[in-house]
Amino acid sequence: MCDIFALSAGVNYTAQKYLPIFAEKGRQNMNGWGFGFYRGNQALVEKSAERVYDSEQVHESFQRLARVVDSRIIVSHISCPLSGGSHSAQNHPFALSFLNHVWLFVHVGLIKGIEDYQTTNEPGIDVDVYPARVFEYLRDQLISYLQYTSYESLSRSLVKGIRNLLSDYPGYYSFFLANESVLFAFFNFRSLMLLRESESYGNCLIVTSIEGLSDREWIAIKPEENTLGKLLVAAGPDVLYLGDVV
Amino acid sequence: MCDLFALSAEVNYSAPKSLPIFAARAGRNMDGWGIGFFRKNRAYVEKSAARAYREGRFHDGFQRLARVVSSKFIIAHVRLRTSGPIDECHSHPFVLQLKGDDWIFAHNGKASSIESYRGQKVRLDDVVSDSGRTFEYLMDGIAARHEGSSGVFRLFTAVADTSRQLIEQYPGSYNYLLTNGSVLFAFSNHRQFLLLRESRNLERALLLTTVEHGLSEENWERFSRRSGSIGFLMAIAGSDILFKEDM
Repeated sequence: MCDIFALSAGVNYTAQKYLPIFAEKGRQNMNGWGFGFYRGNQALVEKSAERVYDSEQVHESFQRLARVVDSRIIVSHISCPLSGGSHSAQNHPFALSFLNHVWLFVHVGLIKGIEDYQTTNEPGIDVDVYPARVFEYLRDQLISYLQYTSYESLSRSLVKGIRNLLSDYPGYYSFFLANESVLFAFFNFRSLMLLRESESYGNCLIVTSIEGLSDREWIAIKPEENTLGKLLVAAGPDVLYLGDVV
Repeated sequence: MCDLFALSAEVNYSAPKSLPIFAARAGRNMDGWGIGFFRKNRAYVEKSAARAYREGRFHDGFQRLARVVSSKFIIAHVRLRTSGPIDECHSHPFVLQLKGDDWIFAHNGKASSIESYRGQKVRLDDVVSDSGRTFEYLMDGIAARHEGSSGVFRLFTAVADTSRQLIEQYPGSYNYLLTNGSVLFAFSNHRQFLLLRESRNLERALLLTTVEHGLSEENWERFSRRSGSIGFLMAIAGSDILFKEDM
């Protein structure tokens, strides 16, 4: 199973303390890795089809990027064979521009049927892997709810979109969707680990699918039974909302 | 009645167009002005007891700051005193620090009942107004909910619950802006907020004001509490409304 990582902070922050451990602990995922972050309001993505951990070492470029990338939002993904594809373009994160933002998306899960989804908006993501279709689906949903009523709540629109997604394409989802200011995390089958670092440790929020990235007090959050899943909304180092999607 | 202004953007932004228009259109407020903003993670406030706008002229400091201040969040306030003396100290916005985070707060409204409140965790010692006490109350409420949370602390929920409790314990008219540099909360139980995104004439960030008819001849969206609700709360990050809740 792939693994995902996200950092959200109030100011630009480097995840050099966590990302190498994330890579090491996700070593069983041998199909590549990716980083997404922001420079101003532009999203930048670096990815590779090489193993993130090999010969007892974290991939050199991954290590360098972990040291150098500083951003209010950082998302990362290390890929297992289930994520599909072996070319770097097929690795996460994916980026799409819509609703005045460049959005980043990483996903772990298993969904049947969504690979045939045809997006109703331009551009599409020109790779043949199903997480790209999930991202396009969510993009299409958000646009449909917000393009004519841009003063609606972004979170509420995303919840509506997730409900439709789960109705049209039931499956196992665990994803991060982010723009320059906000991180959304939705998951319906795996626990995510959450850590709010204090100011002395950087004043940031870390969310990841991997346990034990440090010896600090991580909180495990998991979806409740008889719900569609759990949604977390973070801005800067704060969790604004964490609740069930029903 | 005082007036409020906020700019929220994904990246640092200045408000050289909208801030002077705000001062001019809210010109009846003669008892001071203030501009709050963030640099890195720290809050800064510049304020004055003088008028921001008078007989076609802007206060020199206000005008210069409008050009110079650059931040993801800019909060401005022009004051018409209803509580507390007229001096620089009592001009809004105010700043308090809670658990290492700076918060900026600006308010209009009247809530005499809260003047007896004394902050538990944080205090604005020099301020003797309902606005100062309201800010302390909100910070205390957020801190208490933070300490009481056994799992994940949820900030939007904490602000919403504290605001609800504020109205119940200290009835009055409240209309406030509150930000920690990552998210802006806008609450009202007695006035409307007008919002504009993607302005063609002003800055292209999200703009918010209490000034009637907004700050340009564009389609400002009005938000006010629905009948039957005790107030409404918005959470804004970048140029997006993340949450919008009638209470």
